Amino acid sequence: MLCNEAIVRAAIESDVKVVSAYPGSPTTEILDTFSEVAPHFDYRMEISANEKVALETCAGASMAGLRTITSMKSVGLNVASDSFYSLSYTGVKGGMVLAVADDPQAHSSQSEQDGRTFGPSAYVPMLEPSDPQEAMRFVKKAFELSERHGVPVLLRTTTRVNHQSGIVDFGAVERKPFEKVAWEHKAGRFVTVADAARTFKLAMLERTERIREEFEASDMNSVKLGGSDVGIVTSGAGYNYAVDAARILGVGPSVLKLGTTFPLPRRLIADFLRRHKTIIVVEELSPYLELNITAIAKDAAPSVRIIGKSSGHFSEALEYNTNIVVDGMAKALGVKPPVDYAAVMSKAAELKQGLPARPPTFCPGCPHRASLWAVRQALKGVKHVLSTDIGCYSLSFMEPVGYGDSLLSMGASLGIAAGMQYAVNEKVVAMIGDSTFWHAGLPGLVNAIHHGDDFTLILLDNSVTAMTGQQYNPGSDKTAGERAAKPLVLEDVIRAMGIEDVTIVDPYDVKKASATMKEALSRKGPNVIISRRACALYADRQKRRRGETIGSNRVDKEVCKKPYTCVRQFHCPAISIDDNDRKATISKELCDKCDVCSKICPFGSIREREGV
Amino acid sequence: MAKEFSVYMAGVGGQGLVLLSNVIGAACASAGLRALTGEQHGLSQRSGSINVHMRIGEEIRSPLIPVGGADVLLSLEALEALRYVEYLRPGGVALVNGRVQHPISETTVHMKEKAALYMSAKDVEARLLKVTDKVSLIDALAIARGAGNALTENIVMLGALSTLDDLPVPEKALKDAVAATVPKKAVEVNLKAFDMGKDAARSHLCNLVKCRE
Repeated sequence: MLCNEAIVRAAIESDVKVVSAYPGSPTTEILDTFSEVAPHFDYRMEISANEKVALETCAGASMAGLRTITSMKSVGLNVASDSFYSLSYTGVKGGMVLAVADDPQAHSSQSEQDGRTFGPSAYVPMLEPSDPQEAMRFVKKAFELSERHGVPVLLRTTTRVNHQSGIVDFGAVERKPFEKVAWEHKAGRFVTVADAARTFKLAMLERTERIREEFEASDMNSVKLGGSDVGIVTSGAGYNYAVDAARILGVGPSVLKLGTTFPLPRRLIADFLRRHKTIIVVEELSPYLELNITAIAKDAAPSVRIIGKSSGHFSEALEYNTNIVVDGMAKALGVKPPVDYAAVMSKAAELKQGLPARPPTFCPGCPHRASLWAVRQALKGVKHVLSTDIGCYSLSFMEPVGYGDSLLSMGASLGIAAGMQYAVNEKVVAMIGDSTFWHAGLPGLVNAIHHGDDFTLILLDNSVTAMTGQQYNPGSDKTAGERAAKPLVLEDVIRAMGIEDVTIVDPYDVKKASATMKEALSRKGPNVIISRRACALYADRQKRRRGETIGSNRVDKEVCKKPYTCVRQFHCPAISIDDNDRKATISKELCDKCDVCSKICPFGSIREREGV
Repeated sequence: MAKEFSVYMAGVGGQGLVLLSNVIGAACASAGLRALTGEQHGLSQRSGSINVHMRIGEEIRSPLIPVGGADVLLSLEALEALRYVEYLRPGGVALVNGRVQHPISETTVHMKEKAALYMSAKDVEARLLKVTDKVSLIDALAIARGAGNALTENIVMLGALSTLDDLPVPEKALKDAVAATVPKKAVEVNLKAFDMGKDAARSHLCNLVKCRE
């Protein structure tokens, strides 16, 4: 079972009553799994407009006394953090768990942000499991801890924990029927400002010390004493690599595995430090444990040698792997690894000479590919700057498309465009997807309308939150568990906000879309172009469900004059060049039959493949 | 204690690699074997290179296979086998779908250089042979079509994998897991693809490495 599924299972076993989240890798399968099994249980669930609303939805229900859970990716907590910090002040009544996952290596994120700073800076307890079974156990403990101390609890993971599958032992699902509770009216109970905030702060500090005391004896931390004077301190994914690395090296160090990483059990750590001469800290990203351990060692064990990032054995960048930890540990202990990993890597690099890269790109049939073609044609000869946003269309930065000037964070395209139009003479264009627009684009557009900012917003409406797996969003007529929802209509909302210049195009009708865009882009902003066509993966799934087959196109070799327009301008992975005649060829398996390439081919050589 | 066994799986987004890892994981669970996988979800699916680390063994903690640590490199696409060649242990088995999906980056270069040829499955094979003498190319797409569905390439490759004598997972557990994982109406064609993959392995792979009877 995937770790994300284990988190869901544990929450259901813990009788969670309200679930709310916005999708974000590597946590998306938490939302997906809750959504999939929702019809079998009576918890209330929403796919929220963004992480802040998701957190607040859970907070509201937890204040009333129900158990709740939200999940989000590292940067999602940035969005939710305003309420997150205050919520730690007021606390909650029903157990509330926030499953937040960082993404070392930035596999599917804009940064390697280390979310562990949120625990100590907000005084919110933080638990870190290493595998699916532990995640199961820790989630249950998190609910109990949350209720015992009236505080939300962070379950902090990383990609390699969330996306790890393993065998998980279940507990029993004994759920009470869903019942609303009466709100307990206590003056100022959940109000934090000025004097109330000062009172809450003191209580929060006391609460943290109580929890620290509890963590000193918690079975979420473990100490395994080895026979040597070397000890490893680690947590989360780092623990997995450290244990395997020690085994590979044939060394038997002691291991302190920390499952409670805020507040840290200081006495437990101090005791461990005193028993050893050398301490190796294995943790990805920032030296969070290392700095804390160094501070604890100052009084508890001043002569202990601490190996970690400061000592140069490990890096603050990128994801670890067993071999990386083997190398760091071997260097620290003066032993030789059984495999010369650097030699393996350099031999592999030699063998891979000339191997073409395969970064993620737009799927065959992706409407974004067509929209981008239309935009670039429409802006041919026009000096312009493109401020784009987070979503599949972010892939336009990758080669060979290589298009776009800035990309920061959810919804940032609009604010950045506002700044650009003050600063540059070029035409300013902002680009955002429907889900990202609902998530964090609205305030940016409000701002642009109010100030009359001169840029054109291109809204790529593919009807779902595509990148994370085509979840519903506020534009959908459904939400979690296929429950009916009211779809918001982009053009209605935008017109009501005060923009009359709204143009709607179909990117599959690519030449017409481009001509229409060209006109709209020549007008003064703020104005909006909506390019509307459902995500191809989503649309294909619907088609298959209806029993429709997806056809494919072929190149008529008699007609093809090798202009390579389809290669040069369209970059579809279904199109390649036939080594025999140097003409374009289309993969029957990969083609989605969106027909856009046939519309841009100057010789009209792309035809429907018959007899599929 | 059962032998430890690691399979590094590679492919192109959309080829059903995660389903394949779910099938093997489920088969291990039913056979009482402890398995863990490190998977890729999210952005990387979009026609990009993807990989899954599959590890079987009681003591293993890390879901990621160290470089030089995979007993089998199983690739659903030829170029992707070469991309992760560092994970294959010297003398390990490279089980490679001979199908090549040309990345758009290569096609773009290709367009400009008239004399250029795409990197082929044979090129990949020659390079893999510098790490191991056990390289087997399987034409999984043709076999999958023959079985009745071009989308069963992943199960063809699983059938081929199932012949390995060193693989700790019994064949029956794998077939049961296939039947339990794929949609009901696709069970028959997938099991046929599995068997055809086995047959394909017997005609080449099993001359290189010890196979089950």
